[in-house]
Amino acid sequence: MRHHNAILGILMGLAGALALSCDPVHDNGVDALGPETPGVPKGPRHRPGQPCIVCHDGSFGSPPHFTVAGTIYLNIGDLTPANGATVTLKSADGNGATASTNEAGNFYLSPQQFTPVYPMKVTVDYTGRKQAVMGGHVGRDGSCAECHTDPAGPASAGHVFVPVDGKTP
Amino acid sequence: MSMRSFFTRSSRSSRLGGLASLCALLVLCSVNACNVPASDNRVVVDAPDQATFAPVSTLLELRCGSLDCHGQSSRNLRLYGSKGLRLSQVGDAGRPSSEPDLTTDAERNENYLSVVGLEPELMSQVVREGASNPLRLTLLRKPLGTENHKGGTLFTEGDDQMICVTSWLAAQADADACKRAKDSHR
Repeated sequence: MRHHNAILGILMGLAGALALSCDPVHDNGVDALGPETPGVPKGPRHRPGQPCIVCHDGSFGSPPHFTVAGTIYLNIGDLTPANGATVTLKSADGNGATASTNEAGNFYLSPQQFTPVYPMKVTVDYTGRKQAVMGGHVGRDGSCAECHTDPAGPASAGHVFVPVDGKTP
Repeated sequence: MSMRSFFTRSSRSSRLGGLASLCALLVLCSVNACNVPASDNRVVVDAPDQATFAPVSTLLELRCGSLDCHGQSSRNLRLYGSKGLRLSQVGDAGRPSSEPDLTTDAERNENYLSVVGLEPELMSQVVREGASNPLRLTLLRKPLGTENHKGGTLFTEGDDQMICVTSWLAAQADADACKRAKDSHR
């Protein structure tokens, strides 16, 4: 009897896991990101400019969970990564965190490092340029690229860059 | 009657029956197609004043209209604003490149339609009641956190944000409260 209960429990757990992993909206979102760039292994430098938390969302079987993540570029007109930029986040509850970008321009924070209460304010510092201050705020999504997509237009400010005049688009 | 003639008659009558049904369906469809509501039979919304909406729009743009929230074109209560979703490109008609950072009248008009059109019947009721029970509106229950809201709790009862919106609903728009609310979230 005890064995039966254990097997039943395992089966129910597997069924639950399967049900959780079958989210067509999530799957479509992941598919829309396309394949990995050839020559860039999965890891801190992969998929710059993409909405990180589509995959790094903490769901069952996902890669490491991020709460805030994105890519910072140097210029408005090209995709040169801003290596070594400091991203400062200020949560609505007064807490804050900073993260540094790597050679791909990527930065990311885990839930253990920072879990923001929205709305969240963002600034970016980069040596030799003025501090970039986000004009609005982040309302609910920790992926920069959820809103900052290229090309810039009525629904997007374009990719995040560190402007010379200190004001983000 | 032979079996053959029985089946022949039977299939003929069934064909006639089918034709009659088709005709009846066509008549029904054409009657329904002509049965449009009378032009005077529309719901008229008792909408709050559009002339005093600008400060309310500014607050909603700032608090609710970020691109990942209601500044997303796929979301209901779509809000346009200078720091979020834009109605047009810089340099287009109505959005002069000399002032790209200002919300335009056209965008404010769209925001008004979004707010009024979210729950038009309830909005009418709230306006008719002089906003004595504004929490009928999802527009307020969501930011107050009394109804599940992915964007979290943004307003509290009696704060300047609430006063800004409810005073407008009550036709006593308090632009000062809107300004204080806006300034506290810069």
